[in-house]
Amino acid sequence: MSKPDFARMKFYCDENLCIDCNGCVVACKEAHEVPVGVNRRKVVTVNEGVVGKEISLSMACMHCADAPCQQVCPTDCFYIRADGIVLHDKDVCIGCGYCLYACPFGAPQFPQDGAFGTKGKMDKCTMCAGGPEETNSHEEFHKYGQNRISEGKVPMCASMCSTKALLVGDADEVALIKTYRAATKGKGIATEPMGW
Amino acid sequence: MANTWGYGAMTNHIGDMQNSKAIIIFGANPASNHPIAMQHILKAKEQNGAKIIVIDPRFTKTAAKSDVYCRIRTGTDIAFMYGMIRLIRENNWVDKSFIADRVYGMEDIFTECEKFTPEHVEDVTGCPKELLIQATTAFATAEPGCLIWNQGWTQHTIGSSNTRLGSILQLTLGNMGKPGGGCNILRGHDNVQASTDLGCLADTLPGYYGLSEGSWRYFSKQWNVDYEWMKSRFTSKAMMEAKGFSLGLWIHGVLDKENAANNADTPLKALVCIGNGISTITQTHKVKEALDKLDLVVFIDPYVNDAAVITTRSDNMFLLPAASQVETSGTVVNTARSAQWRSKVVEPLYEARPDHEILFDFAKRMGFYDQYIAGMGKGKNFTWPEDATDEIARSLKTIGFQGRTASRIKKHTANWHLFDSVSLKGKGVTTKEYYGLPWPCWNEKHPGSPVLYNINLPVSQGGMGFRNRFGTERNGADLLSAKGSAPVGSRIDGGYAEITSKNIEELAGITLTDAEKKAVEGKNWKTDDSGILVDKALAAGLAPYGNARARTIVWNFIDHIPKHREPLHSFRPDLVKKYPATKDQKNHYRTNVRYESEQNAQKWVENYPINIVSGRIVEHMGTGTETRASKYLAELSGEMYGEVHPNLAAKLGIKDNEMMWVYGTGEGKIKIKCKYSLRVDENSVFLPQNFSGVWSGESLESRYPKGTAPHSFGESSNQVTSYGYDQQTSCPETKCSLVRLERA
Repeated sequence: MSKPDFARMKFYCDENLCIDCNGCVVACKEAHEVPVGVNRRKVVTVNEGVVGKEISLSMACMHCADAPCQQVCPTDCFYIRADGIVLHDKDVCIGCGYCLYACPFGAPQFPQDGAFGTKGKMDKCTMCAGGPEETNSHEEFHKYGQNRISEGKVPMCASMCSTKALLVGDADEVALIKTYRAATKGKGIATEPMGW
Repeated sequence: MANTWGYGAMTNHIGDMQNSKAIIIFGANPASNHPIAMQHILKAKEQNGAKIIVIDPRFTKTAAKSDVYCRIRTGTDIAFMYGMIRLIRENNWVDKSFIADRVYGMEDIFTECEKFTPEHVEDVTGCPKELLIQATTAFATAEPGCLIWNQGWTQHTIGSSNTRLGSILQLTLGNMGKPGGGCNILRGHDNVQASTDLGCLADTLPGYYGLSEGSWRYFSKQWNVDYEWMKSRFTSKAMMEAKGFSLGLWIHGVLDKENAANNADTPLKALVCIGNGISTITQTHKVKEALDKLDLVVFIDPYVNDAAVITTRSDNMFLLPAASQVETSGTVVNTARSAQWRSKVVEPLYEARPDHEILFDFAKRMGFYDQYIAGMGKGKNFTWPEDATDEIARSLKTIGFQGRTASRIKKHTANWHLFDSVSLKGKGVTTKEYYGLPWPCWNEKHPGSPVLYNINLPVSQGGMGFRNRFGTERNGADLLSAKGSAPVGSRIDGGYAEITSKNIEELAGITLTDAEKKAVEGKNWKTDDSGILVDKALAAGLAPYGNARARTIVWNFIDHIPKHREPLHSFRPDLVKKYPATKDQKNHYRTNVRYESEQNAQKWVENYPINIVSGRIVEHMGTGTETRASKYLAELSGEMYGEVHPNLAAKLGIKDNEMMWVYGTGEGKIKIKCKYSLRVDENSVFLPQNFSGVWSGESLESRYPKGTAPHSFGESSNQVTSYGYDQQTSCPETKCSLVRLERA
């Protein structure tokens, strides 16, 4: 078996930098035309208004290596790509909500519409990698949204992050940015804003 | 600021904040209102070790990222700053040589600050003195420190004093004219700086030339029209040269009969509103009354202006759909004086038309189209907007627009990737230029000036001293800067007056040829179309506007030095006697404005015992007309609310998420949701100012033309903000008011 030349794709959000502007949330919704009420990404503020204790953090599906959602799914609709992005097949999903029980992060979302608020097919962050349909097809966009990864683009949330608190990409790359930031801490301005 | 050192603009720029070692933020909330600016602030904190100090009545999202947070009562910034200056002096943190060389009148400030001991500051502001000392120490001992402010300072009866004392604070520490220092005013949105540069104000022609006869004659020439013709457009020469009604005060020109006397004996009869959310000024109920009373109302806007829904008039109101920014092209200017070219992405959709086309059509029908376009000098065959951009560059000499031609701005925008975002310096084809040619950009070879008043650079590379704007001498004191404080490479090693045809030969050490003499005869740097005066000055290392001292004393203002004055509707009536409002003013922007009499009209706090803190929220912009029409933003922030401390709410018997009535000191009242929050103190309610479409409990949704209603509605906070206008600028007081809360 050949070793892939990349690590797994990861999100990282720096609570020292996240300012709860919700830019990531709106960028995600606009890009994928997500229905109102479905939040693939959320910004959570803890201790709001408490001097010295307030922090904010942007969270979505964390694309776990050992994804609990995949393990509990009765129809086995989840699949994990070689780069670690956790996706699912909406044609197989039965909307049971088991994945929501299993997920430690509250990532799975269920549309609210329909009679009696039936759950409908599960929707979640795809890390802008679409789904099992043909890449960049109309069907893929309709069910899963844009496939930016296939075009070599950074996912919408991180690309729109106003303070660059939210990073996403190959875990090695994300770690490298973090290392670079740590190394330059307190040593004066050494980088351009976009890459710091 | 213009009255302190010559120009009223952000002195440094956003990327430059990264060079700061301390950033003090008063009356601004960049985390919510300028998220991109916040990136630079947080980068300064992490990489440069800058201390972030936030002074605000509300613990904002910006405050959540601060090292020191000081909660003060609204409208007491001046007391806090004098407290800082007193401590700076006591601890010998004053930059003595900077003051000796480049500042006039600091003694009066040092006398005034003696009143503001830490104990007294604590009493006036409510901020514990330990925090005042901590904040002052962190800021004053950092080298350099920058100051950020925003509408939290300007929208006060004493807003102009706030901004002046902030400028003086920076002078005290010698933080002006250096990277990482300065006064960084974050404008409310893009192009605000350009709007004022182009004279979208009640008291000046473009380029801050003022309204005097000389200014009108200068602009008549720039616009290629006859001065006499221009004069004939006005009722009288006196009215031509009188300040107009301001954005804050126009309602009183419609409603209050006595103001007709200030306005050529007539009330205002028509209003044309282009892209302005006029319901964000105070007393929305008065705005409604005024809109109802006018003979004609025209709104030019991409969205339905919410004021058009607030008025109940049934006739003579027109909504002209304007193109949005992606449907037009031209320059856009950021808060830091840099310009960028904005390209058209799509043709205007549906019936929308670009603003200039609408205005051209007005001009045609009113019979002055030929004169209207004459300034571009191309007859009817002009290219829009390039020719207009070049006309602006040519005309706005006071702020050094001569180098900001359309072709240069386009070149910068096209080579965006070649500029460094911290220094703004270019590479490759734009080497030695600064991004967007921040003004002053004195001629077509000039690189722009990223940091104003920096004497460590030659004038030809963006350096300059303070502007000589207030004369050369005052009561025997020299207003020009001292020896040794001229920009690098200056022929004169010290202060000098602004450049005129009379002094150019002596100051620049040159002899003009006869042809040059003829070209500049009777001109100065602001009026010389030949460009000779500016070019010769730059060649001698001189700033065209001179090199003078900043001043702390503004002898043409009501308050010669900034003074703390209690808000008109003060939470602390016991302090009103010591710090009273100014006397009532006649003909202030054509309006008779109440100050003292309003403050003493009744014991306001007895009936209205709660302070207002107002501000924007991150999801919405201005009145929210555009953002509330976005379904996702409406989902995130879909209804109006008031943040109330749980202890206050408990006292009033209002539960979390219950509805409450808020009664203002005027006639306005709003019914909004009570949101328990620890962001505010126990005497205050925070009201976001981005909602509209509900009027004292009644929805106005049915009044929107079919298909144009936004997704979210809410009561407008300005229905309950009080009467009050800046004593100099007439900016409405939205930040200090009193209200009464009751469970609905």
